[in-house]
Amino acid sequence: MNAWIAISPLLLLVGGGLLVMLVDAFTKERNDLATVTAATLFLSAGVSLFALLSGKDPVDVPEVFGAFLATDRLGLFFDVAIGLGGGLSALLAGGYLREHGLERGEFYVLVIFSAFGAMVLARATDMLTLFVGLETMSLGVYALAGFRRGSPRSIEGALKYFLLGSFAAAILLFGSALIYAATTHTDFAGIGATVAAGDADIKLLLMGLLLVLVGLAFKVSAVPFHMWTPDVYEGAPTPATTFMSVVVKAAAFAVFVRVVITAFGDDLSASSAGGWPPILAGLAVVTMVYGNLAAVGQTSIKRMLAYSSIAHAGYLLVGMAAASVVGEKAISAVLFYLMAYTVSNVLAFGSLILMGSRGREAVSFDDLAGVGRRHPLAALPMVIGVLTLMGFPPTAGFFGKYYVFSAAVEAGGGFVWLAILGVLASAIGAFYYLRVIVAMFMKDPVPGEPVAVPMRSGSVTAALVISGLLVMDMGLMPGSMLDLAIAAAEQLFAG
Amino acid sequence: MGTANFVLFGVCAFFALAGAVTTVAAQRPLRAAVALLVNIISLAGLYLTLSAHLLAAIQLLVYAGAVVVLFIFVIMLIGPAAEVKGKGEGLPGRTLAIAIMTMVTGTIAFSLVDAAGNWLALRSNPDFGTVEALGAELYSRALVPFEIVSITLLVAIVGAVAIARHRTEGEITEAKAVHAKAVEVREEAKAEAEAAAKATA
Repeated sequence: MNAWIAISPLLLLVGGGLLVMLVDAFTKERNDLATVTAATLFLSAGVSLFALLSGKDPVDVPEVFGAFLATDRLGLFFDVAIGLGGGLSALLAGGYLREHGLERGEFYVLVIFSAFGAMVLARATDMLTLFVGLETMSLGVYALAGFRRGSPRSIEGALKYFLLGSFAAAILLFGSALIYAATTHTDFAGIGATVAAGDADIKLLLMGLLLVLVGLAFKVSAVPFHMWTPDVYEGAPTPATTFMSVVVKAAAFAVFVRVVITAFGDDLSASSAGGWPPILAGLAVVTMVYGNLAAVGQTSIKRMLAYSSIAHAGYLLVGMAAASVVGEKAISAVLFYLMAYTVSNVLAFGSLILMGSRGREAVSFDDLAGVGRRHPLAALPMVIGVLTLMGFPPTAGFFGKYYVFSAAVEAGGGFVWLAILGVLASAIGAFYYLRVIVAMFMKDPVPGEPVAVPMRSGSVTAALVISGLLVMDMGLMPGSMLDLAIAAAEQLFAG
Repeated sequence: MGTANFVLFGVCAFFALAGAVTTVAAQRPLRAAVALLVNIISLAGLYLTLSAHLLAAIQLLVYAGAVVVLFIFVIMLIGPAAEVKGKGEGLPGRTLAIAIMTMVTGTIAFSLVDAAGNWLALRSNPDFGTVEALGAELYSRALVPFEIVSITLLVAIVGAVAIARHRTEGEITEAKAVHAKAVEVREEAKAEAEAAAKATA
């Protein structure tokens, strides 16, 4: 019985997904599917949030569950992030698909089951569940990216994502095979224990770790494994892009945390001389610098946001690298950042969806020229969205960056330089984020070109209001969310 | 390792490598597909030397039986257009790729050869790799991942349907516009070519 309660967020999603499939088969009316999908995902997030807030220790579950799926606070925390991000993406899809004549029920089914895969991934405590969860999530997202079949860009992006994603998955699988060969364990705790006891073959283990890190770095789109990101983000229907940028990233970082802390948390793999901290620090540096510099030259906002998501992966990697010294603090900062990034990104992409109506999507800076003066209320979410992505106080994004960088400073040594570089990179970020506001309020539309007209959609508005309120809430009162993150991180290190 | 086992290993390893190289190097897609078949069958042989009998059988059934046939069907459907002509990467690109791959494979190979062979101990169990052992493992200890795979398959099916299903009106309009643009570009190119031909005449 306990086991069922412990994995109830996952079961809710499976049930909801099957329900949506049934409803879709028997109805012509697609409007309610978005609501049902969002309700399912929010319910799942709500159950997890309730369990987190109740503050009880996780229930004991039978070995058959516990060995493969974690039931700890970290898992619950990511259930909240994934359920929230997925539900908001579904609400955005409700307006977007109807407006652009793409409405088909499969979209929602894929969203729910991908979110299920993401939750499995975030709770994975074994290489087996890691891989199965990763594939469940990715297969759904590949299809979502290619959902717009009429558009060559969408198909191109989906194909690139699928091929490169399969390579990355194969590399990750090879890495876990090497780790198994080195330790004869596939469960993270077992790997960690074997290494700590000195029974592992170190050379093989490090090689395996390297390959697993490559696979994970691909999923979080860290440079130099980011090549797919701009094309896929730009080609995919915008709600699918939103889903990718929040849910996939959160789940990939969740398993990242588990792998480096639980399986490779020993003194050798986590030392600054060898092992993962220098690798992650190096990835963080190139990711932050490249992501921000490449975003500057973009003319498409969707593509700019894709590079911005690469840059944010860099900031998060700073936190991950710092976790080798100041474990709990850095991990809780990463968790908070992911939650803040989820709501911020939904807000930014959602506003972009809001700006386009039938027949004309707003994607470039020119499309947004003058929107702020014509439709000030519709421009407001975009303003808050870019400010929070930029890390402007008092928004969620500010405290995300603040916690991550202060964790890096506390870690001392080379990590201080990482934090300084991060702040400098964010300063470059301010340039292209503010360009959006400049385009909206200080530019005039190109004469003769059709101008963007905001769409009217209840579900898009709802998603924007929810994410906007959460951004401001986490920006003005970050304490309650940070407490949850700290509790989750503490339990990870205690167990 | 007994002599027979060693001979099997040598033969299979040779054909696996030869098949893999031919798959990559072959100009004609059909040849590449057949070379892939050779590679896959040799891999099944390698699994046998590792006493993973079930895996060898699955390798033959799924990969040699289904996947390669699928490849060949696709190549035949596409027809002569499937042949790639002309340039791939330039020489510097190729050299770099080969250098990196050699480095990575070399490192992995050396660390494997050097490895103490923890995992070899697992094979001392006489049940290792049998259908019974694998089944027992799959339906008892690894039940949770096994159940989750059902959702993975469901996602794959729904995803395939989402991509292959009939188009909505919005998509048809979009596709028409793209097609019209393609026709336009083609006509323009044709007209240009004709003009150029006239100019030279």
